Amino acid sequence: MKPQNLIALLLFIAGAVWALTRSEQSVRSIQKTVYSAISPFITGGSGLETTATEFIKEVEHSQAWETKYDLAKEELDKKRIEVAYLRKLEIENAQLNQALKFQQEAPFHVLAAKIIRRQPSTWWQTVTINRGEKQGVGVQLTVLSPEGLVGKVDAPSEETSTVILLTDENCQVSAKVDGTPEVGILSGQRGQTGDKPNLRLRFLSKDATIKPGMLVFTTGRGGLFPADILLGTIESFESGPLYGEALVKPAVDFAALKIVFVKTPNSPESPR
Amino acid sequence: MIKYTLSVILLTLAACMVQQFMPAISGLHGARVLILPLVFLCATVSVNFATMLLLAFICGFLWDAQHALSPQGGDPEVYTNPVESLRFGYSIILYAMMGLLMQGIQPLFRKGKWHISSLLAGIAIFLYLFSEYLLINFVRGDFAFPPTAFYRIYLTSALTMLFSPLIFWIIFQLASACRHTIRYDGLKREPRYLD
Repeated sequence: MKPQNLIALLLFIAGAVWALTRSEQSVRSIQKTVYSAISPFITGGSGLETTATEFIKEVEHSQAWETKYDLAKEELDKKRIEVAYLRKLEIENAQLNQALKFQQEAPFHVLAAKIIRRQPSTWWQTVTINRGEKQGVGVQLTVLSPEGLVGKVDAPSEETSTVILLTDENCQVSAKVDGTPEVGILSGQRGQTGDKPNLRLRFLSKDATIKPGMLVFTTGRGGLFPADILLGTIESFESGPLYGEALVKPAVDFAALKIVFVKTPNSPESPR
Repeated sequence: MIKYTLSVILLTLAACMVQQFMPAISGLHGARVLILPLVFLCATVSVNFATMLLLAFICGFLWDAQHALSPQGGDPEVYTNPVESLRFGYSIILYAMMGLLMQGIQPLFRKGKWHISSLLAGIAIFLYLFSEYLLINFVRGDFAFPPTAFYRIYLTSALTMLFSPLIFWIIFQLASACRHTIRYDGLKREPRYLD
């Protein structure tokens, strides 16, 4: 080996050891710096994605118009499009109303956030939201939707934050099965893909009487998530030699999720 | 040479930014085009050993800075079996291993057989993702390898490989603009003479 290659190899090993021995705090600081540098690109990417989607829709609309022109129903089509647009507005209005209602009725202080990027990494089930430390978002804060628990904040930067979803194996939640004394730990499953992945509820009693359709809520224990937030419904239950395990269908449709709410650390006595 | 090395580093940083615009395709088991690893792999075949290690460090560092997860947190009495995450910095080692693999076929690349490097880039991405998944299994225990994980690895590497001719073209353009001749300058065995 040439001397310069040997020096390069030694320097590389030193650099790798330095990186591998960083403390958790240093890693967070590094991540914050990198996220602050790339957040304009993430936001830009989200904008570009929206523009591309709108363009595709526009093209689809143009093709539909042409077909309808051939059928000589211009006026009728115009009305149809108007109605479709109004329906779209109506749906949007209903969604926003639902979100606003949730924000107003939530028994704790929540901050609305938009998902700007989905699943940026290969193996972790995460999303990026457009709220960061400037808006009061901090690490481990609960993220909700009107349907139930979404996950928790993993890495906040100044303008954006990464949220680890309930469908990730790393997001463990202390959960209880409604109507039973059963308490367990709910988490996602490793390596699963698809829009509607099921969750695993482990450490239940092996002789538990759990039936499909039963609701699963957070217990509030463990200091991460507030109590009585809907997590999902039981799909199946299997008894093992030591513990029972249930498959849970999440309450939240993660593929359709656009707006989420971050539970900010205000006192529960001052609901908004 | 320095001009070319600097431009390759800038290309890598640009790839890191472009990676932010690459969405996961839900219809393909969440597969995506991994531009940053691809640029690294294509670049390593055109640079010397020391530059390859430098690029491996930059790419691995940036990759982990974006993707490393925080510790789970919560009360250890409730969460008695915390899920371990990979340590920050592991990607630096994985990138270096991929780079070494690519440098092994540098003589072929020098002869103009870039398509072999292109194919190997796909294989290297496959091995990278596979090793990453095995590492996750190793640190978390309870080995699980569902078919969906294999599809994600396979489709991601196949999708990424499709873009390698474009990256090689950009690298050749860069080399030409910097008046740099891509030559075999990797690990060589010194000739031994018997007395």
